[in-house]
Amino acid sequence: MGLSVDERWDLIDKISKETVTFGKYKHTLKDAVGELTIKPLTGIPIAIAVLYGLWSFFGSFAGFFTDGFFVSLFDEHFLPWIQSVFPDKGGWLYYIFVGDPLADNCFEAFGVLTSGLFIAIGVVLPAIIAFYLILTLLEDIGYMPRLAVLIDTILHKIGLHGYAIVPTILSLGCNVPAVTASRILETRKQRFIMMTLLAIFIPCGAQLGIMEEVIPDTMGYVLIYLLIGYFILGFILNKIIPGKSPEILIDVPPYQRPMLRNVRRKMQMRIVGFFKVAIPFVLLGCAVVNILYKGGVIDWLANVMSPLLSGWFGVPDETVGPLIAAFLRKDLAVAQLSAIPMTSYQMITSVVLVSIYFPCVATFVMILKEGWKDLLGSVAVLAAVVFLYGGLIHLIGILLGVA
Amino acid sequence: MKVLLMGHPNVGKSVFFNRLTGSNAIESNYPGTTVDYTKGYMLLENKDVEVIDVPGIFSLEPKDRAEEVSVKMLEEEKDAIVVCVFDASKIERGLYLALEIIEKGYPVIIALNMWDVATDKNIAIDVKNLEKILGVPVIATTAISGEGIAEVVSRIGEASPVKIRNIIKNAGD
Amino acid sequence: MEKKLSEMTYGEEGIVKSIEESLRNNVAGMGIRTGKKLKMVTKQPIKGPVVVLVDESRTSLGLGIADKIMVEAEK
Repeated sequence: MGLSVDERWDLIDKISKETVTFGKYKHTLKDAVGELTIKPLTGIPIAIAVLYGLWSFFGSFAGFFTDGFFVSLFDEHFLPWIQSVFPDKGGWLYYIFVGDPLADNCFEAFGVLTSGLFIAIGVVLPAIIAFYLILTLLEDIGYMPRLAVLIDTILHKIGLHGYAIVPTILSLGCNVPAVTASRILETRKQRFIMMTLLAIFIPCGAQLGIMEEVIPDTMGYVLIYLLIGYFILGFILNKIIPGKSPEILIDVPPYQRPMLRNVRRKMQMRIVGFFKVAIPFVLLGCAVVNILYKGGVIDWLANVMSPLLSGWFGVPDETVGPLIAAFLRKDLAVAQLSAIPMTSYQMITSVVLVSIYFPCVATFVMILKEGWKDLLGSVAVLAAVVFLYGGLIHLIGILLGVA
Repeated sequence: MKVLLMGHPNVGKSVFFNRLTGSNAIESNYPGTTVDYTKGYMLLENKDVEVIDVPGIFSLEPKDRAEEVSVKMLEEEKDAIVVCVFDASKIERGLYLALEIIEKGYPVIIALNMWDVATDKNIAIDVKNLEKILGVPVIATTAISGEGIAEVVSRIGEASPVKIRNIIKNAGD
Repeated sequence: MEKKLSEMTYGEEGIVKSIEESLRNNVAGMGIRTGKKLKMVTKQPIKGPVVVLVDESRTSLGLGIADKIMVEAEK
């Protein structure tokens, strides 16, 4: 007893004719702004300005709280205090929880309660708040669909369409909800490409925050390598993965004034969700790496992996420690890398490697929930990408004479 | 018995949900990104009735997996009452979704939400006549200010399945 | 003059004449159907998507989708 599409619309036209009268519609300022932000000539510069604004707010907000408040809180007050009260200096537990007894800052101490807490609260928390504040506002105002329309052409080249910008940007906060958000794409092919790309090439807010703090000078190069990788791999996956890539078909809603209560609730939920995943893994990551160091496993692995690490990728063998930490948390891994002495090109290479070589364990579990076949596929792609792209970056460095 | 809230994205459906249940649901501009769905309870004839805020969709023909989730939620609740919430200024698109749900045999009650926006746009809707043609309760609401919500609650019980043939007959020509 | 939706120019208005069968269900929920009046709002460069106005709602369609919708353009 269902109607066909045309029958249903005919019926609606009849009903509407009898019950609805459309008066003269006056275009408002909101409509005018709506059109300016979607027409290419004005919309593209506005989009660039919006993204740049997001970026600079992120950097200055996070920097303000981290450098202006948390660094002194942790280094001048918390670290000396915990170093003095924690019992059994030089013992195993001290090493795991407090780390180096001579460290004068929380980056180099590397204990669960020193570096672990500092990274999670001092560096990552401000970064995540800044990011989600802007993202939530952009969403609630209704800007995202417009960005999707403007960027559609580019994303179309990698088998996705404009709406894929939603999981992509969400992923810059945390990959975990972004994996779920990839459901807004139509086909399995598109979802696979999206999940694989974001698991490999999109750094999360925690990682961005820590990079901004410890390697501000080389961070730009890392991001360029990741961005280029995103498009190269997307282009290749689009060619080799069977399936369809439907085009964009979305509603572009009018702008709305964001409701404060809604913004607050959404941010609260996202930040809590983020930390439920992040804190345990940062602390666990610190502990695991410390135990492996103490047990000599890291030194042994560094030896075994040497041909791959210093030979193929051109990075110091010591990076094996951070690479293990990166299974659990990328932010932690980047912080550890920053303490290893190396050239700035090696730093770029090793941070890129840490970013791409494996999604953090929480993301891994999310992709598994979307289907184990997709997960296996993603991991296979990932292994090939890390090996080839890492080697390529090394080669570029050799050709430029900087590696 | 359960009550499902269904409608397009961006029609103030979650605000509507909050008004019905008194809880704090979160408006998400695209489904699947923050929460799959939100549940709550409302008091109906002295009984706690479960209300589900189904992520926004445009039709029952899902085009992606997020919409599939919404359609599946409807199909799994065979004996649910569906409150269709639309943007009154986009009534034709709203009716499309409402008819699809009515055709599936669900008892439906229609909330023409964002009534204030429709008034601003000089769109006039004859609610009484619409109700007569469709044979289901139709109520003008503005969820943000709370207008019309009490009437929706008091008339949920009037919702009953309607034969599409009758609607066609009532619409005349 | 009848032409593809994708061939309409900025600000042009037209009535939908036909929609390819495979597409009809997908665009129906957005209010796009045979006999409906629509207006071209923007076209993105380099084969990008179009944005059309139907009943004061804006919908964005990929160019390939817009190729499958025929309209009678108004002068």
